[in-house]
Amino acid sequence: MFITVTGEKKEVKDGITIGELLAQEKVQTPEYVTVSVNDEFVEGEGRDATVLKDGDSVEFLYFMGGGAAWL
Amino acid sequence: MAEIKADETVDVTHLVCPNTFVKAKVVLDELDEGQILAVRLNDGEPAQNVPRSLKEEGHQILSLDENGDGTYTLYVKKVGD
Amino acid sequence: MALTDEQIERYSRHILLKEVGSKGQKKLLEAKVVIIGAGGLGCPVGLYLAAAGVGTIGVADADVVDLSNLQRQVAHTTADLGKPKVESLKESIQAINPDVKVNTYQEFIDSSNIRQIIRDYDFVIDGTDNFAAKFLINDACVMEKKPFCHAGILRFNGQLMTYIPGQGPCYRCVFKEMPPKDAIPTCRQAGVIGAMAGVIGCLQAMEAVKFITGAGKLLVGELQTYDGLNNVFRKVKLPPCNGKCAVCGDNPTITELVDYEQPTCELKH
Repeated sequence: MFITVTGEKKEVKDGITIGELLAQEKVQTPEYVTVSVNDEFVEGEGRDATVLKDGDSVEFLYFMGGGAAWL
Repeated sequence: MAEIKADETVDVTHLVCPNTFVKAKVVLDELDEGQILAVRLNDGEPAQNVPRSLKEEGHQILSLDENGDGTYTLYVKKVGD
Repeated sequence: MALTDEQIERYSRHILLKEVGSKGQKKLLEAKVVIIGAGGLGCPVGLYLAAAGVGTIGVADADVVDLSNLQRQVAHTTADLGKPKVESLKESIQAINPDVKVNTYQEFIDSSNIRQIIRDYDFVIDGTDNFAAKFLINDACVMEKKPFCHAGILRFNGQLMTYIPGQGPCYRCVFKEMPPKDAIPTCRQAGVIGAMAGVIGCLQAMEAVKFITGAGKLLVGELQTYDGLNNVFRKVKLPPCNGKCAVCGDNPTITELVDYEQPTCELKH
């Protein structure tokens, strides 16, 4: 099946979970990455249970610091 | 032609483009909808560009009168707020 | 307040814009923006807001200019090494536009002073580099009902979003809680392209200008991301606050500000 991952269409195995997708995409420190599926957030505990469907759109939102030194 | 009575006048003959239009626009911004501004401008680029730019912003050009001294007077009616 | 001839000329490229005009320029001249962090992001934000004629700019940072800052913090120069960043940025701002009033806060921004500082301003820029400060700014802005623009940069990537009270999710709606110490690399450990600070800082300045003038659409309910290596700008839709957010939700559990532990490798000079 095909899903969209951070804007790019990808073929993934049927029945893939968010947890599996995070591993497959080699997302670093996935526990600190916010995940949304079809514009809804999926909390950490629900990720292994959430099975993706054909056509789903998944976004990974990363913590990003930067800017000035510590105030 | 009928005399147009302006609510406000501005002279931009000492300015160059785009400041001619900018100055006219600033003065026009202060007027109320429907009021008329008379703009004195030089022949050439200002006389071409200022009416066109004011028209593009949605204002109504009433007339562009030659003053006989190389300058023009543009009458523009403010449209919208 | 009428614009002077000098102001009309200085801001002519703004006044030419239908979305700004002299009315928008007057709003800019009357606006007050505070920039928290006078570093990679804060420098371009400060310079562009100064050039834009934002009447009052607050600058908060406790740090001094270090040689390693100059690769990206473009308002500071080699001659400014060792100088407080707030002073250096103030000088750059006033060199561009002497009409701008600059308030400097050369102090550590924490739970004891942030609400007091931001209260006086219309818009807040988060130009900080660490999550403790980012959550503090978010929570303080939610409590004070202040709009702010968050941004972060790392390596070749950057992101930003804008919070407007009552109109969309806050930073905590998206990122929930402070990550533990060292869980996430910072640009101090991982590096960052200097121009990334410029790209994202300029986008923050754009948000502030749009907020002040009312032009266009703000990044509310959207996270703008930029991948510099692949030249990809994306807007990621953020769900609206579901009412459960710990600070902006219906029953907030965070009602007082707390100081989170500072990240490790805080290089105090």
